[in-house]
Amino acid sequence: MSAGLYVHVPFCLTRCGYCDFNAYAGLDHLASRYVAALVREASLAAPGWVGEGFVSVFLGGGTPTTLEPDDLGRLLGRLRELFRVAPDAEVTIEANPDTVDRAKLEVLLGAGYTRLSMGAQSFDPAVLASLERLHDPASVRRAMREARATGFANVNLDLIYGAHDERLASWDRTLRETIDLGPEHVSAYALTIEPSTPLGRKVREGLVPAPDPDLQADMFELACELLAAAGYQHYEVSNWAKPGFACAHNLGYWERRPYLGLGAGAHSYRNDRRWWNVRPPHGYLEAVEAGRLPTGGEERLEPSDAYLEEVFLRLRILEGVPASWVEPEKAEPFLVAGLLRETDGALVPTERGMLLLNELVLALAG
Amino acid sequence: MPPPARSSRGGRPYDRRAVTEPSRIRNFCIIAHIDHGKSTLADRLLELTHAVSDRDMREQYLDKMDLERERGITIKAQAVRLAYDGFELNLIDTPGHVDFTYEVSRSLAACEGAVLLVDAAQGVEAQTLANYHLARDAGLSIVPVVNKIDLPQADLEGTRADLAELVGCEPEEVLAVSGKTGQGVPELLEVVIARVPPPDGSREAPLRALIFDSTFDPYRGVVAYLRVKDGVLPSRAKVRFMATGLDSEAEEAGVFAPEATPVDRLETGEVGYLITGLKDVHQVKVGDTVTVAGKGRASEPLSGYREPLPMVWSGLFPAEGGDYTELRDALDRLKLNDAALVFEPETSQALGFGFRCGFLGLLHMDIVKERLEREFGLELIATAPNVEFHVIRGAETIVVHNPSEMLHPGTYDRVEEPVVLATIITPAEHLGAVLELCQARRGEMADMRYLSPTRVEVHYRLPLAEIIFDFFDQLKSKTRGYASLDYEPIGYEPSELVRVDVLLHGEPVDAFSSVVHREKAYRYGRRMVERLRELIPRQLFDVAIQASIGSRIVARETVKAKRKDVLAKCYGGDVTRKRKLLEEQKRGKERLRRVGRVDVPQEAFIAALRVDQQKAAGR
Repeated sequence: MSAGLYVHVPFCLTRCGYCDFNAYAGLDHLASRYVAALVREASLAAPGWVGEGFVSVFLGGGTPTTLEPDDLGRLLGRLRELFRVAPDAEVTIEANPDTVDRAKLEVLLGAGYTRLSMGAQSFDPAVLASLERLHDPASVRRAMREARATGFANVNLDLIYGAHDERLASWDRTLRETIDLGPEHVSAYALTIEPSTPLGRKVREGLVPAPDPDLQADMFELACELLAAAGYQHYEVSNWAKPGFACAHNLGYWERRPYLGLGAGAHSYRNDRRWWNVRPPHGYLEAVEAGRLPTGGEERLEPSDAYLEEVFLRLRILEGVPASWVEPEKAEPFLVAGLLRETDGALVPTERGMLLLNELVLALAG
Repeated sequence: MPPPARSSRGGRPYDRRAVTEPSRIRNFCIIAHIDHGKSTLADRLLELTHAVSDRDMREQYLDKMDLERERGITIKAQAVRLAYDGFELNLIDTPGHVDFTYEVSRSLAACEGAVLLVDAAQGVEAQTLANYHLARDAGLSIVPVVNKIDLPQADLEGTRADLAELVGCEPEEVLAVSGKTGQGVPELLEVVIARVPPPDGSREAPLRALIFDSTFDPYRGVVAYLRVKDGVLPSRAKVRFMATGLDSEAEEAGVFAPEATPVDRLETGEVGYLITGLKDVHQVKVGDTVTVAGKGRASEPLSGYREPLPMVWSGLFPAEGGDYTELRDALDRLKLNDAALVFEPETSQALGFGFRCGFLGLLHMDIVKERLEREFGLELIATAPNVEFHVIRGAETIVVHNPSEMLHPGTYDRVEEPVVLATIITPAEHLGAVLELCQARRGEMADMRYLSPTRVEVHYRLPLAEIIFDFFDQLKSKTRGYASLDYEPIGYEPSELVRVDVLLHGEPVDAFSSVVHREKAYRYGRRMVERLRELIPRQLFDVAIQASIGSRIVARETVKAKRKDVLAKCYGGDVTRKRKLLEEQKRGKERLRRVGRVDVPQEAFIAALRVDQQKAAGR
């Protein structure tokens, strides 16, 4: 009783220059067909997951709230019928602040969505503009107010730091505004340049400077400091939560629990096998409507792959890796340097260690 | 297609038993700068003498001659025999580059005359001048010729006047030809016959033949190119190589007409090849004298022989440590055909196992490195080239050809470095820039003269070490490409040289040590640490990069510790891709070389050691 169920909604109002997710603007006309396909895929996949208990459902994207609230409600209902989802499962839906209003939120809460994850990204309009986000800081405050008024008791705000024109002072203001809004959960991501995105191309062509890793390190440290002071626990490299509000669904990825992904491009994982659906929405729709599982590829993890995943995923969270896995002389220099600490027989990165996680992984898993 | 019968190749059949009186033999070479038209002129000579039938004629025939078609051998023609008007003309090819001055001098010693060929649009170049002086010193008759008179931009009269001034003749005596159209070429042959003296030497004296080049043929062993000075060389004979003292059963003598053609013997004054029966090119040295073995052998060799002397040294290391054996085998193979290449094993803390190699010069070094990479598929790291230093301590001279072996100040009496006499020819308008460059490179002017109102010849004494870096590139850029350079070594002189070391996190990196003039030591150290600061990736700790002379630090930079190296996001759909990124990062780490505690990528070594070297072209 520990699996996660992920549903991918590949529609967005616009495409942001930094984003390399499987998401598309201008395909909204496919929405109702897509919801039907999700239900169809779920029923095709369900026999393979009989006996598996699900502790979380996560609707991500894209922007799931571009779909009709009633469709979203019916979808969740069908998923609960097809899969053994725990009654108290964490059910998250991602939302763009501009795509939610009071009425929609009420439908979602009523349908069983218990956790709302909103892309705030920044409270600095200049930073939002450089990220090509259309919303303004005011709409985040408004959406937050409405979520609370509706009765959402578990809200996450996503933040992105280190865009090329962002200074430490601006990030400081964003963090303080975030904390003032009092979400239960904060995800703060260092902007990463993905080569395949428009932003990646601009950086390659020298039109936009690449993020300064030292400034991003300063920003990370500032986030650690301010969020800790506000009572958030730093439980994963980029995630903070008030006690009891760590995201159960995402923890499943880092703890290497099984997950089933539905929707275009969604990944699934169980028993050292990982597979994924075809990415283009049209291809996905055609496969499902023809009554086939829309699998686009798979890999079976060799023991060495599985071990590397175990190490690099577990080191992201407070669980860490058992000290017994690692030769003491490999861990020693990092313990001395303060990048690792040993707690209850586990090696866990310190916050400085989290910033240098790749180094830790390569040294400990190598 | 089977090869055609030999008699159909040339305009007239070649009689292998024919004997030419020495009075009807002329041995000559063509001295010309690159692109001044030597090969095209040679084509016209081949046509005019019917050495090649019209059907077989191709452009730049001698350059492209591929004798593998015939008998599967790979002998390259270094000397071609032409029949003209009852005369036997031997045209001997000479390498033109300064690295091969000794080889040039041996080719010249095989001739009695030299055609000095100058492009009417380019004028006299330094390398031409240097080879002209070599030829004159060797006592050759010089036939000055202006080429490319068909070009619209040709300055026939100006070039004629320059050449006349140089050679010391009347301008009217300077021939004018066009290798392209053939204009003036018959007259040139007449003048060669009239002005170049026939070979002297005695047919009755014991055999003495001068080896002016040799190659290794995989089927036939070592082939010597030689000129019979005295006596007669039979086709099959037991011969002795006088410098090495080796005896061997020679298998075949022959001439290039222009295809390799066996003969019954090579007569006094003739030029041809000898298949020596030896298997190692080092046994057949350029400049050595061939005589008969046993009774009737010559007592004295011909003069002028010397061992090839490496002038420039560099460490060659395989980029992948495991390729050491392959590098050794490749060097062994190259050495089969390159008597001047020397190498010895070298171990570098930073670069691992490799070889310290000695070269005749930078061109030679480039050629060897390029052949190792291209023909043997090796990826190499070459340390910066250096000259050979002499460290004098009391009565002892310590020869140092690896900077990391250079002694520290205070432990010796003095250091000497090789000095060259450089000849630079430049348009007068760039003279100032040239003088400035030479002064900056510790040059000392020997003399200077105007070749014409617009062209100046300057002689500078310069440390060889100053020339082997980017001197030639600098010279070209300061003269908009118009200056030319040549140089010859003139010995060793005391110099204020110090060893500069580069330290990473306190550890000296032997591959970066250099021996430089005291006044330039600081700048070298500064440049290296700045360059390395850009090249060394950030580590988990601050890395000090220092340059030192002895125990004194003269420059320092710091690579600040890396603070951030983490994948910001890793959710369900990211795991596979992120794992692959980590694996890639791991493979990258495995390619790093560790110097003390510091990981240094291969590329950093290559980039830090890269110098803009003088290239073959235009030298």
